[in-house]
Amino acid sequence: MSTGVLGTDKRGIRELGAEEKVGWDEVSEGVVLNSFEGVAEDIAHKKAEERDYSDFNSYTATVASWRIIKPVYNRDICIDCQNCWVWCPDTSIISRDKQMLGIDYDHCKGCGVCVEVCPTNPKSLLMYSEAADNEEALAGWPQKEKKEKN
Amino acid sequence: MAITSIKNLKEFSTTNDRFEGSHLLCPGCAHSMIVRELMNSTDDNLVIASNTGCLEVSTAVYPYTSWDTSWIHIGFENAATAASCAEAMHKARKRKGTLKDNDAPVKFVAFGGDGSTYDIGFQWLSGAMERGHDFTYICLDNENYANTGGQRSSATPVGAHTTTAQAGSVSYGKKQKKKDMVAIMAAHGAPYVAQLAPNKWKSMAKGFQKALEIEGPCFINTVSACTTEWKFDPKDTIGITDLATDTLMFPIYEIINGHELNILYRPKNILKVEDYLGAQGRYRHLFKPENKHVIERIQKDIDEKWEFLQRREEARI
Repeated sequence: MSTGVLGTDKRGIRELGAEEKVGWDEVSEGVVLNSFEGVAEDIAHKKAEERDYSDFNSYTATVASWRIIKPVYNRDICIDCQNCWVWCPDTSIISRDKQMLGIDYDHCKGCGVCVEVCPTNPKSLLMYSEAADNEEALAGWPQKEKKEKN
Repeated sequence: MAITSIKNLKEFSTTNDRFEGSHLLCPGCAHSMIVRELMNSTDDNLVIASNTGCLEVSTAVYPYTSWDTSWIHIGFENAATAASCAEAMHKARKRKGTLKDNDAPVKFVAFGGDGSTYDIGFQWLSGAMERGHDFTYICLDNENYANTGGQRSSATPVGAHTTTAQAGSVSYGKKQKKKDMVAIMAAHGAPYVAQLAPNKWKSMAKGFQKALEIEGPCFINTVSACTTEWKFDPKDTIGITDLATDTLMFPIYEIINGHELNILYRPKNILKVEDYLGAQGRYRHLFKPENKHVIERIQKDIDEKWEFLQRREEARI
């Protein structure tokens, strides 16, 4: 996954280089921001890694600095139900060939929806502090909870 | 063409996103869930127009765009106008044979929030529906002007606290009923009108496919839970939407050709509306003893509406 090439600012928007910077009032009428380099065809059938994103596409930016908690993904428990994929508001769950591969930490804002919709026991996604180490989190993953009898 | 692999979620997940991350919508915003579910259900070329609103300001912050399709924003009220004009131009150029590819399927879609759909863009939307352009209008209904600080709109339901209909010692929040936009659009004689919710992703994707396929103006109202103004934790967006559909606060149904009503989701256990209201900060004041009558009124309205929908479905008229 691409990270901002030219660094990030507080809102997670990549700063353009000084020579490229154009003020909003200098933009002429009818100007077009192209999402892709060159002629983009058949985008609906191209995976993200096959696309030639332009610098104007927010895919090339990051909002990672919004996050104070982050989801950590445990492949061993995941059943590939894709609940997290369909309800992720930030297109941050990466799934290929019906399998979940992981989390795009450049676009994730840490809302925690993926953890809430995860149906496994224990959950295969859990929220940890942004400073936490993923390996340590996986090592200390909670055990299966027994159902309480009423 | 409509993507056929939406039988189950695993197959749906093989579709490619055309709505990119790093937009500036709040964490846990339902807007982007809805837009993703819609755009992933088709592989047609889309021409999208957006009204001013959360979706527009957050996905097109210069120098970025989150849209992998053609996208335009003009004003607060005229996404319907922009989409219908683009559609008319496309039709004319197709007739004259001046398009680069005359056979490429192009669909026209307009997105608006509830403020721009129910209030400010109502006249323009009504005009476009009446002219009968081949486009689909999608309202992302979060029941207030969330982009400007949560003012009341005509989509705000009874009893909700907003910054311009405040709850306090003399008022219990908004006193007026929510406008029934779906019925108004059906009354235009639109070939396809629906109310859908993002937690029911399958009916959402299918509804959108149907709207694109059908020739003529289609309208889809979608419930979009707003973590900021409804005041709940961002992680609970889907949980709140589940409550909205299971308490029948947002029944999911479609109306074909202005009269044929189908209910698309019947909850197994219909929950009491208190469950939905209690989960949100904007209804907190309703649980004071003096406001008990408001909850009763809301429940009564919901029951009446559900009865009405069921009878309409049965009558097939």
